Amino acid sequence: MRKGVLEYCILCILSKKEAYASSIIEELKAANMIVVEGTLYPLLIRQKNQGLLSYRWEESTQGPPRKYYEITEKGRSQLTEMDAAWQEMVSSIETLKR
Amino acid sequence: MKRVTNACIGGRNFTLNDDAYNRLDAYLRHFRARLTVPENQKGEVMDDIESRISELFYQEVGESSRVVTLPMVEHVVSTLGMPDGSAETGYSYSTAFSEDKVPKKLYRDMDNKGIAGVCAGLAQYFDIDVTIIRIIMLVTLFTGAGFWIYLIFWIAVPKAETPAQQCEMRGIPATAENMARFPRREENK
Repeated sequence: MRKGVLEYCILCILSKKEAYASSIIEELKAANMIVVEGTLYPLLIRQKNQGLLSYRWEESTQGPPRKYYEITEKGRSQLTEMDAAWQEMVSSIETLKR
Repeated sequence: MKRVTNACIGGRNFTLNDDAYNRLDAYLRHFRARLTVPENQKGEVMDDIESRISELFYQEVGESSRVVTLPMVEHVVSTLGMPDGSAETGYSYSTAFSEDKVPKKLYRDMDNKGIAGVCAGLAQYFDIDVTIIRIIMLVTLFTGAGFWIYLIFWIAVPKAETPAQQCEMRGIPATAENMARFPRREENK
């Protein structure tokens, strides 16, 4: 379940702006979503191969080029679906707790 | 004093001391083994991981000629963890670097051979200087039986060819780290 949520989080972050892996990590860490970074990379590659993300190389002022990930149209529609599913889940839990 | 290794990680060049290099190499292999993505996508994940490692090292050493040390690698390993979010398991110093004695096996040592590696192999097995064995062998040669003894050993004892056999010959555990120290022998070298 946590992995599914993590995939949702990645799409959320990238829907705001394109980012490279390290800045995605920073955001996830700030939100206490991941403990170790290693979990992120397989997910990024999987989502990329599902066509939800794409990437491009950008020259960096210091060191080798960086790989910037951005969300695709398919990714955006997936995100909309996930948003709906998330809202549904939250309201279900709220109902149960009452 | 420690030996160092130059390694290209994620497009940057780093100098690692041997402890750090071995540790990082073992970590990357563990990480790859634990990946659950299809085989043809593993390379891509590993590239991303290496870029990240490169960044983390760069933050530590920058453009300076400082050497990447074991504590730096340990820090990176604990930051990155395993693909499934767990801590790294199946790795410990005792299994990787110990020279725990396991039963030795008799092989012909082709790296230190004179004729067919029989004496060198016996020296490894009994852990004595190969010169002593050679002298004993020469003495027995002149008293008669030496030729046949040597010939029988030559025929009966296998060559230590694979890295695993090299480890068995030396009586050290055949771990990946140990095996890396003995590359497979090229014939006719």
